[in-house]
Amino acid sequence: MNRKLSAVLTIVLLSTLVVTACGGGGGAKGGPIKVGAIFDLTGPTSDVGTPYSEGVRDYVEWLNGKGGVEGRTIELIFQDYAYKVDQAEQLYSQYVQEGVVAFMGWGTGDTEALRGRIAEDKIPFMSASYSANLAKIDEAPYNFLVGTTYSDQFIIVLQWILDDWKAKGMSGNPKVVLFHHDSPFGLSPWEDGKAFGEPKGIEMMELAQPKGATDFTAELTRIRDFGANYVVMQTVSSPAAMALKNAQSLGMTDEVQFICLNWCADEILINLAKDAAEGVIGAMPFTPPSVSVPGMKDADEFLKGKGSSLQEKGLHYIQGWWTMAVMTEGIRKVVKDGKEVNGENIRAALESLQNFDTGGVTAPVSFSPTDHRGTKSLRLFKVENGQWVQLTDYISVPGG
Amino acid sequence: MECGIFHTTYQQDMAFRHTWMEKARLVLLLGFIIIFPFVANRYWLTLANQIGLAAIGAIGLNILTGFTGQISLGQGAFMAVGAYGAGIMANRLGWPIWLTIPAASLLTAGVGAIFGIPSLRLKGLYLAIATLAAQQIIDWLITHWTSLTGGVEALVLRREANVVLGVALRGDRTFYWIIMAFAAATTLFTANLFRTRVGRAFVAIRDQDIAAEVIGINLFLYKLLAFATSSFFVGLTGALTAHYRGIISWERFTIETSILYLAMIIIGGLGSVSGSIYGAAFMVLVPAFITNVGRQFQTTIPAMAQLLPFIQQGIFGIVIIFFLVIEPEGLAKIWRDIKSYFALWPFSY
Repeated sequence: MNRKLSAVLTIVLLSTLVVTACGGGGGAKGGPIKVGAIFDLTGPTSDVGTPYSEGVRDYVEWLNGKGGVEGRTIELIFQDYAYKVDQAEQLYSQYVQEGVVAFMGWGTGDTEALRGRIAEDKIPFMSASYSANLAKIDEAPYNFLVGTTYSDQFIIVLQWILDDWKAKGMSGNPKVVLFHHDSPFGLSPWEDGKAFGEPKGIEMMELAQPKGATDFTAELTRIRDFGANYVVMQTVSSPAAMALKNAQSLGMTDEVQFICLNWCADEILINLAKDAAEGVIGAMPFTPPSVSVPGMKDADEFLKGKGSSLQEKGLHYIQGWWTMAVMTEGIRKVVKDGKEVNGENIRAALESLQNFDTGGVTAPVSFSPTDHRGTKSLRLFKVENGQWVQLTDYISVPGG
Repeated sequence: MECGIFHTTYQQDMAFRHTWMEKARLVLLLGFIIIFPFVANRYWLTLANQIGLAAIGAIGLNILTGFTGQISLGQGAFMAVGAYGAGIMANRLGWPIWLTIPAASLLTAGVGAIFGIPSLRLKGLYLAIATLAAQQIIDWLITHWTSLTGGVEALVLRREANVVLGVALRGDRTFYWIIMAFAAATTLFTANLFRTRVGRAFVAIRDQDIAAEVIGINLFLYKLLAFATSSFFVGLTGALTAHYRGIISWERFTIETSILYLAMIIIGGLGSVSGSIYGAAFMVLVPAFITNVGRQFQTTIPAMAQLLPFIQQGIFGIVIIFFLVIEPEGLAKIWRDIKSYFALWPFSY
């Protein structure tokens, strides 16, 4: 027994040493350009993390199939990190060691935890977290946000509410509740939204969705007692679907307009809530595949070649695809200008990006040295007959 | 215990290391720790630092759970107290790192002692639930007491807080020395603790609390002391993490962290200082190892790529079960078995 054990331990230790002996410079001339990525494929957000990761990976595969960026291929180094911050830090330092020049993150937790280190290492970073915190240039100089920030999403929705209220000829002030995930992600748009809405006469309240709750009837009753006309949900799809079903059985869906910000406005919401999702409005920075725009053609054709389709993969796939495309555009500019491909140059190239066309998937993306919020406008969509259909044209953040 | 060792003085009897083999191993280990940062790349340094931080926390938890027999599910929260304590002292009071780390650890010791009060009445699973309440309460306070903690926003430490005597302490290599120094001090302190009156009182409480009280141990005092000592080291891990990373968010210190640390000491060996370190190393290195092996398969067998993350998670679970089945007393016992095998080789009895 002991002999076997020590043999096993020796093998484990030795193979760890062998396997991790990697290295090299990703920006070397002519070779592939290394980009690191972490995805949540097995953790709590894997339901949306998986299609997002497929979008990022397939974009790189599609791009390399076309000859890469100016003749150079992109090598995407990625791993599942199961939404664990420690795991994200390990993978990040490993990939930086291996010479990645840019990094694709995922959640709010890991993006926040890494933002100091990416600034020190000068690694441009894009993730699927659109917290307005990450758009503060002095604190997060290497974070770029492709999607509209949660705060901007909420402000755009509030602006629409004001217009809708007037258009319906209602008197008095609209009452809005932010019904949110009990986490940093959930509450992040509240302060900015309140600062925008309250001076304009909107009566506002925030209410957290208790962690692990299996029923929101109590919370919805509070919302009804408050007299809410609009309920804005900043949460993920499954609790949002549950809230909608509860609201339906309480008979609230007729008197209250439910609005989802981007992480609960997707196909998963419709699949889970079924007819309770009818009439729900979504603030969606990325156009859902149910609305065809030119920017979806490449992804759809690529998927059809593999025996799948964009309809099947859904909104988060196209979100991953175009987020990677924006990052690639920065890299392309650097290669084209004949500069060394490193994080600093990619950042400068991204900051010179003006009105980058995503074929209608998002509003045109622009960054500047003082503003890393790529899009400051979005369209609202509405669920009709189990499909997201376009409700408004692009609405910009007032004063943004 | 090896045979053929005869102590002729009390000094010899009280020594930590009795044989030249043990002394040689210690020298080798210290040599390795000192040489390591000069040969390791950043990835290995990150892993080493994570192991060091986890080891301090795991030793802390082992003092409470392994040595005193009090289950705690609040480690994640106590770590958060240390981290946020250090962060708030650095930002609001402008204290430098050498003040915030001890102060935040002491603060955590105090908070730990307060949440340890129910332990006088509650035992076993009941105590576990009471400490679970600590986890939830502290989590809630951190995310909702916005004026103090910044609430849901991540807390960014002032960069100046890491400056000592004009030298900025930053980066993986610098923090390697700091973390290892604290880890060594923690190990030395804890190993000695259980040779003192206090440490033996802890063990007596674990083995039979009523008997301990009968022989004159003040249960209330010593249980609280165990909570305070344990929380001190857990808070130290938190405070070091805060200064090392420069940014802390609530999401790092959830109930999952508490369970991870319990898993560390169970796999490493309950009631063993070295076991805590083995457990910490195991919990950091095994997932990293599986991830790296997985990467090789990702490119060689593309068809497996879709399933790989799930296989990795599964293997991690299986490895844990495997080690617990072959040796329920943990890695520390496995290491002792290996040692005695070689010590007695070739004539084991």
